[in-house]
Amino acid sequence: MNVGTGSTARNRGSAQGVGVDKGTPLVAVVGPPNAGKSTLFNHLTGLRQRVANYPGVTVERRCGTVNLSAGPVELIDLPGVHGLSARSLDQMVTRDVLLGEFEGDRQPDAIVLVLDATRLESHLMVAEPVLGLGIPTLVVLTMADELGRREGALRCSGLSKELGVEVALVNARDVATLQPVRVFLEALHTGGEEVRACPIVTVAEHAEGRGGGRVLPMIDLFAERRQRARELGRSAGFQAPRLSRTTQRLDALVLHRFWGPLVFAGVVALVFQSIFAWAVPLMDGTEAAIAASGNYLAAALPESWFRSLLLDGVWAGVGSVMVFLPQILILFFFIAILEDSGYMARAAVIADRLMHRVGLQGKSFLPLLSAYACAVPAIMSARTVEDERDRIATIFVAPFMTCSARLPVYALLIAAFIPAQPLLGPFFGTRAAVLTGLYLMGVMAAIVTAALLKRTLLRGRSAPFVMELPPYRLPTARSILTRLLDRTKVFLRRVGKIIMAVTVVLWALTQFPRTPGGETPPIGDSALGQVGQVIEPAIEPLGFDWRIGIGLVTSLAAREVIVGTLGTIYGVESEDEEAFELQAALQQDLDLGAAVGLLVFFVFALQCMSTVAVMRRETGGWRWPTLQFCYMLVLAYAGAWVANAIL
Amino acid sequence: MKRVPETEQQPADRMLADVPLEEEVVLVRIDVAGEDVEPLLERGIVPGCRLCPVRHAPAGGPTVYRVDGGLVALRKETASCLCVRSSLEAAGVLDSN
Ligand SMILES: Nc1nc2c(ncn2[C@@H]2O[C@H](COP(=O)(O)OP(=O)(O)OP(=O)(O)O)[C@@H](O)[C@H]2O)c(=O)[nH]1
Ligand SMILES: [Mg+2]
Repeated sequence: MNVGTGSTARNRGSAQGVGVDKGTPLVAVVGPPNAGKSTLFNHLTGLRQRVANYPGVTVERRCGTVNLSAGPVELIDLPGVHGLSARSLDQMVTRDVLLGEFEGDRQPDAIVLVLDATRLESHLMVAEPVLGLGIPTLVVLTMADELGRREGALRCSGLSKELGVEVALVNARDVATLQPVRVFLEALHTGGEEVRACPIVTVAEHAEGRGGGRVLPMIDLFAERRQRARELGRSAGFQAPRLSRTTQRLDALVLHRFWGPLVFAGVVALVFQSIFAWAVPLMDGTEAAIAASGNYLAAALPESWFRSLLLDGVWAGVGSVMVFLPQILILFFFIAILEDSGYMARAAVIADRLMHRVGLQGKSFLPLLSAYACAVPAIMSARTVEDERDRIATIFVAPFMTCSARLPVYALLIAAFIPAQPLLGPFFGTRAAVLTGLYLMGVMAAIVTAALLKRTLLRGRSAPFVMELPPYRLPTARSILTRLLDRTKVFLRRVGKIIMAVTVVLWALTQFPRTPGGETPPIGDSALGQVGQVIEPAIEPLGFDWRIGIGLVTSLAAREVIVGTLGTIYGVESEDEEAFELQAALQQDLDLGAAVGLLVFFVFALQCMSTVAVMRRETGGWRWPTLQFCYMLVLAYAGAWVANAIL
Repeated sequence: MKRVPETEQQPADRMLADVPLEEEVVLVRIDVAGEDVEPLLERGIVPGCRLCPVRHAPAGGPTVYRVDGGLVALRKETASCLCVRSSLEAAGVLDSN
């Protein structure tokens, strides 16, 4: 799928036409992957685009406003590219924006070209096609700190003279060094002399291989570009930095034939153990706070339908989910460290053998890893996969990776049914082992499914694997904290919207039909109970009763909703005033086989409306989401049935 | 590659996959078909560049190469399509520019 730049590339007439109605200047942030574009964008706009230390993090166009004394500037953060010949969907976004072909956008008025100073020579290869667009450009060389630390050097003035545009050397993580970028953006308003386009427009003609009928073979074209980049580097007095020693030492361990896989297993064990062990005090705290506030409300409110709604419905439902926030945050804490440090790219290298056997590209591994947080961004980042069939296959298996929304369900059932016992000393207990097993089941399902797909519906050739390994970087406290904060917000928003709405509806259904005496009915006779009786036959073979059935239905919206649902059902059901125990209630209603069956069901089933919606958008139709939903449902049902039958 | 005419190619040319760790070589030719070559070229793996294998991933996985002050991992199949020459021999031919 080699989509060359259309002939409209040079046809800038119409795009300029839009540009002349001088509104807010539009500035695109462009550059190779992992150069620090989003870091720069975040500092300038104050937004929080996702930043991580591996290539291909940004896959969409994102706008933000920079407020300067001269006026506002609209900045666009873009996916990383090495040139304008886009082979994957994310690169097409960048190309379209740069050429003014992106729907609803005019061509940018200026470009901030972000290059990694430590890799100046290979990154300068992208300068040629980008500068060739003839748009005013500022070249920002990032990683000034690393360049200095690793004993490299360069002079911006030489490069600036050679390129004919302004060049600045910055540390994108340090706001204090970003002044030159602000000056450039100000100049867009004031018409300062910093705003210049590269005078050598003709290079772009070469870049598209259309220069005056002479079509350069691709290899020669790039060899030429590389040669020119090297000359540019020389003019800047570029002294390549040595490899980072920390990176070499860590790689010697992480990619070691024996220690590497062991480190991998150790990291996984640590994460799962800490989800159970470390979270306990935090969870106890949250639980106590919820119980205390519930009791306070119970004492303060007079007996009324509103009190029942608030306490038995909302408090019981929302509270049961809220308890799991600490565990989710611990998971995200580890994900943040792994992503920001640079380990992810190594994990992709280690997993490449397996991916290759399965028939997928090594590149698919990064989206799949990010699916451990949430399948939605993972499905989006599959855009970086160049081959369309591989992209679809990656999207298809992503929901099998255990997303954080499953965690409350797993944690609840494991805590209720698996006694905590140490397995490998204090470091790894039975509960962490079961959790690991559930994650592994998801991985196995993904592998088998991908292998099946690649041998049937999505058969195709295997693309080469070229993976850049960034140096290890120390995650900053700021980036980790903002991630946790953002996650908390997302969690609270979901709880506040979906779970709140569901619990209110459920509560309402438990209030009718009234008994002849005008009392609320016993829950089994209520409207909710009647709906439950309808569902029950379908799930009886799995050992579930109607309450779980209702939970399964509501969890179609989002997985953790089942926890809130059960909280509400048992909350309404419990007659006594003091707070009920969700775990104890479950232990009474489910036997071990059914509990394991329920866990297995959640491993496989696609219970997430957002995933289905983003699938539809990214695959351009209902075909794949429908197939996926049915496939996963069948697997889930069969798996739960087997578990219930065996245990 | 115009700078290295066919006749000048010496028998010393090897495939990148056969180069031992820590030996620096210079790329002389890429035998990768069609569009698959572009991901390599974009990352600076073009004829004339220096490559040095630094590490093999576990269990026959990809090998990590040093290119241009950065690290790039390539599968064995890809590395066996890259024809290289020891950097000492190549010095006279390629680095004259
Ligand atoms: N030391 C240092 N690290 C930086 C600098 N700029 C960015 N980083 C780090 O480099 C990594 C990549 O940064 P991003 O901003 O995500 O890069 P990007 O260009 O948006 O990458 P893609 O979205 O994948 O194209 C992150 O770990 C950043 O923290 C810098 O100037 N110095
Ligand atoms: Mg980015």
